Amino acid sequence: MIGYIKNFVHAYMSTVGFGIIFNAPKHTLIKSGFAGGLGWTIYTLAMNTSDSVVLATFIAAMTVALIGEYLAVTDGNPITVYIIPGIIPLVPGFGLYYTMLSVVEKQFDKVADYGSETFLISMAIAGALVIVLSINTYRRQRQNPAD
Amino acid sequence: MPVSEMICSRKKKLLVISLYAGEIMLKNGAETYRVEDTIIRLCKSKNLPYVEAYVTPTGIFMSMDSKGESQDEIISYIKRIKCRGINLNKIAEVNNFSRNFVEGKIPMDEALPTLKAIDNSRPYSKRIGALAGGGLAAGFFALLFGGNFAVFIAAFIIGSIIRYMMCCLGEMKFPPFLSNIIGGASMTLMAVLFFYIASLMNIFLDVNKVITGAIMPLVPGVAITNAVRDSIAGDLVSGTARTAEAMIIAISIAFGVGSVLKLWFFISGGCLL
Repeated sequence: MIGYIKNFVHAYMSTVGFGIIFNAPKHTLIKSGFAGGLGWTIYTLAMNTSDSVVLATFIAAMTVALIGEYLAVTDGNPITVYIIPGIIPLVPGFGLYYTMLSVVEKQFDKVADYGSETFLISMAIAGALVIVLSINTYRRQRQNPAD
Repeated sequence: MPVSEMICSRKKKLLVISLYAGEIMLKNGAETYRVEDTIIRLCKSKNLPYVEAYVTPTGIFMSMDSKGESQDEIISYIKRIKCRGINLNKIAEVNNFSRNFVEGKIPMDEALPTLKAIDNSRPYSKRIGALAGGGLAAGFFALLFGGNFAVFIAAFIIGSIIRYMMCCLGEMKFPPFLSNIIGGASMTLMAVLFFYIASLMNIFLDVNKVITGAIMPLVPGVAITNAVRDSIAGDLVSGTARTAEAMIIAISIAFGVGSVLKLWFFISGGCLL
């Protein structure tokens, strides 16, 4: 339990840091931190139970998208403002860098390894975001079809 | 002024306004569908029956007509986009602007100055961005990947310095490819330096974890995710272009980090990493 709280705090702080790097509006920083922190906590939880990186990332990204959607509706900001800092702890930036480092070092078996994992993780995140967002868009279209 | 000319100039004004709004959004990291949506929404709100927008990360193409398709009054416009970053504040502001404009709260004459003010709005100051942004992001990321307190301190300091440096290079309009190489190389150099300083104080510093944390503000994680998102949404050209961009950023960072690591490996005789 202590481990999860620790993970939450660390992910929260780094999400806020990234929010500042990406120039998120001041009042959204604290809220998008929650998206990042909860997303990462759920990721570690799913990692511990299922031991599959892609599945854990998918569930966590879905959490981030749902939180982002909720905050976007209540605050009237575009959802991008919450999602981009929120998914930061999950994104495979390090994997992509490692893939390219292996290319530079001519270790091609590692390239396949890291490359496929990076691709799968980014697919999982993007898929989760698209699923949540398009369901919401569809719902909104049904509500006012004139739009 | 004849009536037809007045309509024409009003149309052109609307075109320029919506294109400028789209440009600000695209330059600051909005998704492709959002930019297209904003442009079309802005134009349709002033009763134009025919509007088409085609957006890629490197340019915006749009055309519109006041009477409908296949009339001879089509106006088209192309805008080339050269530099892209992420600035969520500007995206939120333009979103607000477009909502108010569509609802008619902002008149046509005030629209362009409002957009200019958004475009010129200042980001967080360099020092806050470096210390709070780069430092927090890098330091806590190092902890997230299982670092201890020494790793946190090292990653915090390196992350702040790198962030400040990248901001300065960005302001000098230094080529992004080169500045990423420099960023990666100097980050690794500092991590190695910290390793020796720590070993003088009898602390073992895990260089790998310091690099893992400090590199996070540089790597294109969001870019690759947005690329896949664009592809899934059907904007295949944008998706491919964004993938290529992410690959090139990753290559330049790997180039910088890898060359310094190799050099260190060579000098220290392969005792570490």
